[in-house]
Amino acid sequence: MVVLSTLIALGLLGTYLALGGSAYEPTEVRDPCQPRPWREPEGIEESAEQFALSALDGAACELQVTRETLAVAIASGEGRREFIEEYGVDEARLEAAIRAGLLRAVDDAEEAGALSPVVAVPLRAVFERIPVEEAIALIEDARAIFEDVRGLLGREAGFLDDPGGLLRDLIP
Amino acid sequence: MSRTRTSLAVAVGLVLADSSVVVLALPEIYRELDVSVSAVTWVLVAFNLVLAASALPAAHAARRMGPARVTTAGLVVFGLASLACGLAGDIAVLLTARCVQAVGGAAAICGALELLPAVSGSERAAAVHWARAGTIGAALGPGAGGVLTELISWQSIFLLQVPAACVLSASLLGAAVREGRASTIAAEIRPAGRPHLSANAALALVSAALAAALFLVVLLLIEGWRMSPIAAAAAVSVVPIAAFATGRLDLGSIGVSERAAAGVILLAGGLAALALLPSATVLATIPPQLLIGAGLALTLEALTETALEGRAPQAIHGGWTIAARHLGVVAGLLVLTPLFTADLDSQRADAEQAGTAALLDSRLDSTEKIALAERLGERLEAEGDKVPVLAPAFEPLPEDPDERDDALELRARLQDELDRAATHSFSRSFAVAAAFALAALGAIALARGRPSL
Repeated sequence: MVVLSTLIALGLLGTYLALGGSAYEPTEVRDPCQPRPWREPEGIEESAEQFALSALDGAACELQVTRETLAVAIASGEGRREFIEEYGVDEARLEAAIRAGLLRAVDDAEEAGALSPVVAVPLRAVFERIPVEEAIALIEDARAIFEDVRGLLGREAGFLDDPGGLLRDLIP
Repeated sequence: MSRTRTSLAVAVGLVLADSSVVVLALPEIYRELDVSVSAVTWVLVAFNLVLAASALPAAHAARRMGPARVTTAGLVVFGLASLACGLAGDIAVLLTARCVQAVGGAAAICGALELLPAVSGSERAAAVHWARAGTIGAALGPGAGGVLTELISWQSIFLLQVPAACVLSASLLGAAVREGRASTIAAEIRPAGRPHLSANAALALVSAALAAALFLVVLLLIEGWRMSPIAAAAAVSVVPIAAFATGRLDLGSIGVSERAAAGVILLAGGLAALALLPSATVLATIPPQLLIGAGLALTLEALTETALEGRAPQAIHGGWTIAARHLGVVAGLLVLTPLFTADLDSQRADAEQAGTAALLDSRLDSTEKIALAERLGERLEAEGDKVPVLAPAFEPLPEDPDERDDALELRARLQDELDRAATHSFSRSFAVAAAFALAALGAIALARGRPSL
């Protein structure tokens, strides 16, 4: 009887293990410092989404938190305050991280072929000194980068004095 | 004779069902009496603790004053205290009434054990009936409490026990009166031998595991998977059905140690399988529950037989088994409750991370993602500590077929993450409960071959 009970118990445990019982838990979030290949960009919307995710990854990697934690933190002023308090990050470090995130997103976009190198260079220059609120707004909605890069560059940095100049022809 | 035996078995089942009957009512009591979660847990713990503490004094009372009188008086006290529980307007009154209920209950079950041999044919048969009634009562408790809470109210759990206790005490009144007139009680008193230590230790460990089997499964279904109490009651009815069916098997030719060991292995296997659930479905809980029910019936009956075999008086040694079992339940609750509460918190955080990742990676456009994130945040806030129902946050669904598919896919993924987190929150507790059950194997090995210890 003991042998039969043992076989029944082990049989059930083996079945549940085979069905994935030991791994039935929330999906582990990915390390933001690891490269996250872009999905095939299929237009402005898709590219903007991928850009925002790369920016979040880059900033989260700088701060050594998950991308998801940072996304919740920057979604509202209250979330940002709670994040700063909980992780002991000052405003300056948070801003630097968000800018670093934008720079990584430009690198990723360039690598994925969504941004031309000619556009990437001035974008990097702009993102190194972009005000943090505008950086967050760009992460939340990055369509301007792919829709109206000339306007963005001109607005953020006065980079283009001549809207009809060279860059217009080089935007992919 | 058979009617008396039935009355005694029902009395034992009724009292021991009370050790688990309020588990599904705790959220209602918590809300209605406006108390903390830890305070409301004592509605469960206090009963088991006082039952354990008063079992031996009750058994001695049954010996000295007469078992029929003590059983009848115990049922009257139990009924009156149940009435007080049902009418309690604050937690202090409820806890006091639960303690009195446990004292009356201890008297009833210890007296019943002393009365059962006369109507069961032998002390062994009495011990089997007594243990079986208790096992089935304890296993039926959560389901019955859940149904009553949902259909009527948590108070009805206690108020319905009042007429039951009245009927049962009335059925024993004749025996109590006859016993009162007899003058032979003192002459029947024999000195009580030492309790069977290893059998009682094994009973305590198995009961700690039983606490997990009964309470955690119910909490998983209702709090984790958001099932209604009635649906959960139906789902957990597998345990008493399996226990009842196993009790009907003719296993008399198999030794008690072997039955106890086999039962513990099935119990541990069932609990370990609950720690390894591969999906958040009731179907997945049924095989483990079958093992738990069968294991409980085998092991509790065999260990009670071992603890009582050749020992007199039965009431005193039955009192020891009740004390051991309910101390085990209390220990199980006190160990496992903080464990799964802490795991719920950590899994909630993991689920939030996984859910946020799913939202970020979804194909919804950023405007819709932000709007959805806000609505999901509102749902989380509205549901407080409970596992949230997410579907309302997705309403209205987009009209565009592609966007609608994306939204539905995301909703399914978020729900899956929640189910995973809720299920995994209980895994460690079920594993610890399985370890309690396995630890009983050591005590059973010690009990083997030492019936006269």
